[in-house]
Amino acid sequence: MIGQSMTRIDALGKVTGETPYPGDINLEGQLWLKMRFSDRAHARITAIDTSQAEALPGVVAVFTAKDVPVNEYGLVIKDQPVICGPGSDMPGSDIVRTYMDCVAVVVAETDAIAAKAVKLIDVTYEDLPAVFDMEAAMEDDAPQLHADSPNNIICHYRIRKGDMEAGWSQADVVVEGVYETGYQEHAYLQPEAGLGYIDEEGRVTVIVGGQWVHEDQEQIYHALGLPPEQVRVIYPAIGGAFGGREDMSVQIVLALAAWKLQRPVKTIWSREESILHHHKRHPMRIYSKWGATKDGKIVAAEAKVIGDAGAYNYTSNKVLGNTNLMVTGPYEIDNVHVDTYGVYTNNIPCGAFRGFGGPQGAFAAEAQMNKLAEALGMDPVEVRMKNVLREGSLLTVGTPLPKGVTIPQVVEACAEESYWRRGDGAWHLNRPPQPDNPALRRGIGFACGFKNVGFSFGFPEQNWATIELHGGAEIEEVIVRQAGADVGQGAHTVFVQMTAEAVGVPVEKVRLLTHDTAKTQTSGSSSASRMTFMSGNAIRGAAQQALQLWQDEERPAIATYQYKPPKTTPYHPETGESEPNFAYGYVAEAVEVEVDIETGHIHVIKVVCANDVGVAINPQQITGQIEGAIVQAQGYAIMEHLISNEGKIQNPFLSTYLIPTVLDVPTEVKSVVLELADPRGPWGARGMAEMPFIPLAPAITAAVHDATGVWFDEIPMTPDRVVTKLREHGIGIL
Amino acid sequence: MNVSITINGTVYERDIEPRMLLVHFIREELGLTGTNIGCDTSQCGACTIHMDGRSLKSCTCLAVQADGREITTIEGLADGDNLHPMQEAFWDNHGLQCGYCTPGMIMASTAFLKDNPHPTEEEIRHALEGNFCRCTGYQNIVKSIKAASEKMGG
Ligand code: FES
Ligand code: FES
Repeated sequence: MIGQSMTRIDALGKVTGETPYPGDINLEGQLWLKMRFSDRAHARITAIDTSQAEALPGVVAVFTAKDVPVNEYGLVIKDQPVICGPGSDMPGSDIVRTYMDCVAVVVAETDAIAAKAVKLIDVTYEDLPAVFDMEAAMEDDAPQLHADSPNNIICHYRIRKGDMEAGWSQADVVVEGVYETGYQEHAYLQPEAGLGYIDEEGRVTVIVGGQWVHEDQEQIYHALGLPPEQVRVIYPAIGGAFGGREDMSVQIVLALAAWKLQRPVKTIWSREESILHHHKRHPMRIYSKWGATKDGKIVAAEAKVIGDAGAYNYTSNKVLGNTNLMVTGPYEIDNVHVDTYGVYTNNIPCGAFRGFGGPQGAFAAEAQMNKLAEALGMDPVEVRMKNVLREGSLLTVGTPLPKGVTIPQVVEACAEESYWRRGDGAWHLNRPPQPDNPALRRGIGFACGFKNVGFSFGFPEQNWATIELHGGAEIEEVIVRQAGADVGQGAHTVFVQMTAEAVGVPVEKVRLLTHDTAKTQTSGSSSASRMTFMSGNAIRGAAQQALQLWQDEERPAIATYQYKPPKTTPYHPETGESEPNFAYGYVAEAVEVEVDIETGHIHVIKVVCANDVGVAINPQQITGQIEGAIVQAQGYAIMEHLISNEGKIQNPFLSTYLIPTVLDVPTEVKSVVLELADPRGPWGARGMAEMPFIPLAPAITAAVHDATGVWFDEIPMTPDRVVTKLREHGIGIL
Repeated sequence: MNVSITINGTVYERDIEPRMLLVHFIREELGLTGTNIGCDTSQCGACTIHMDGRSLKSCTCLAVQADGREITTIEGLADGDNLHPMQEAFWDNHGLQCGYCTPGMIMASTAFLKDNPHPTEEEIRHALEGNFCRCTGYQNIVKSIKAASEKMGG
């Protein structure tokens, strides 16, 4: 079964419309919930009057901060009140720190009544000074958002490797840049929705879309002050996630209302509510300076990274940890000096999004690499091949990568399959001809990247699976319990394939039990490109033990196995020395763009993506991930411009926040799928779903430079920005 | 207001609020949840249905405007147990991931093929401009529609 493009196990229900998503499920007697959000970026709530809302006919209850038993949540640090306002004993929970803070929850007989009632809640604010720029937030006199984070600094990571002075003294060329990356909105097509109720065993249960049922469960039982077994989380089909469902949205408030009222409570967010009230990809400012010898060897790299976390941590300290490692690229460099900061501001919180800090790091690193190539008069592929990590290479944090380092093969495969030819022992670019219209300029760009698979830096990484073999003389049915979330990527199909392979039965005999805390043990999140890798290893382990029991005549033969990968370690606080990750994925991309120098429009014509996936368990799903990631990354690089003014999102609609349509995407995406086994991966598989996102933006900026001669160090490269910059260089003036 | 709307071959008579959108009539009054809602601004196409055989974003239309009309939703596309060739094509060609855009994509493309049974890839892309997908990058969606058109004699 490994290596076959088995069709998705959920395809039938999805093409007939039968498959329910969270907003499609209803229960007899259900009530409707609406959240009231903050009207200020930073303020103390001195009073909240809910009497008018409560008096509205059809309103069943209004909940405020005083009603939340343990009024805090957060994936890594519990630094956000579930509901902000007076009356809670959680210190600091009377303060709103961002417009997306919740200040009250209304439950009513209908959605319309609830919507009307939230507007009748009278909130009295006492404004506090606010800060919206990440560097201003680090100043000594800046307003402080959280008592335990002086200068609003959540994390400061350092890397100190080698001797910088010696490095600079060897450098023949030095390139510098200040890189700015913008917000990105996940824009999964299904806005947040859910249903809370009390199940047949008296558990408060939430049906919702997320990325890790057991984490949602933990966040809920903590806030409600309940024992874990009193809370159940179930996912139906999930309408996309991309990291955006890793943190809580409607989960805790639905559970709170259902628990207090002992009735089913439902909510569906509008697109506007979704964009305004869930986290984003971090905007980052990256100062970077690299030096190389004239034969192309990088001898020194220095960077300072600042990431805007917004008002709460979410996963910021982890995201910035990744950027810290990736901001110097997949290169072996002897002398490195990096400082990375995650900073609180009164902006919308930022957190997980496909690539998890990798894309921002790669944007700076690959631009630096391409600028070095230009400064040296060398081919960009050639200069990469002189510096890429190889088997046994030391990372910037002083330790070798896990075995199976394939970035050299990936870079070469991408070059060969795109616009490069090898000749006279060097790489040469073959440019396609320019269009006849002089306003249209074509260019080619190249970039590569690497990204961890699985949770990093000492996180206790694990995944549970249970395999049950049922039958008599032969195995008639295999039940696999594996909680991992299928957010659309096809994880459940792959679980079935891997189970069939591990047990040695046809896929028709396999039944998957998943997405339910009452039926499975924890899997960890569907994030960090980890689910195939982690669940595959757990399924293999469980299958092996179950088969042994089967041989020993046990019927049914049931085995539960917890896979734990090799341990990783956190950054040393002064030097950064660490063993950051247990597995990596490697990727390279070449793009061809056409720039309209009159309008500033960048059209991506073709993308060639070489991605080492270790082993393609389901090749069709692999190319699906590559194609989807590329389009999302193209949006990130060119189109998707989320505008925040003093902490307030200005364009919370799909009419004003533009994501790629079918007419915007490249007409050709060529996926070059390499299968160079990861020794630790199940059947050799590596994680892959984030990797194609990572190098695309810098590959596009390189192509735009190739076309116009101008470097763009800021994304998104919207037409107005492109026009402005080109005009500064005297290009496109007609 | 009283309306009489034929949906997937059945006539539904209801007394509804004049402001009710057709998509809410379909989802809430009738419980046909295959028609999805993905935006507030008529951009995404997740709510696409057929009205008198033409594709329509059902969030752009009031239920009262559908009075006396014939509506087909994704649930009414298959012929009993036999899937429509477009449904099969999306299934076979991995034309979906999360699947939230899929009903709208299938409804938009089946209506389009009626007008243009032999489309070029370019024409398919133009026809789908009003349907967003955040997962697939569209390549397999275009491929699915091409495959369906060939199977349907295109
Ligand atoms: S919900 Fe109708 S177009 Fe988006
Ligand atoms: S498959 Fe998820 S939006 Fe299209």
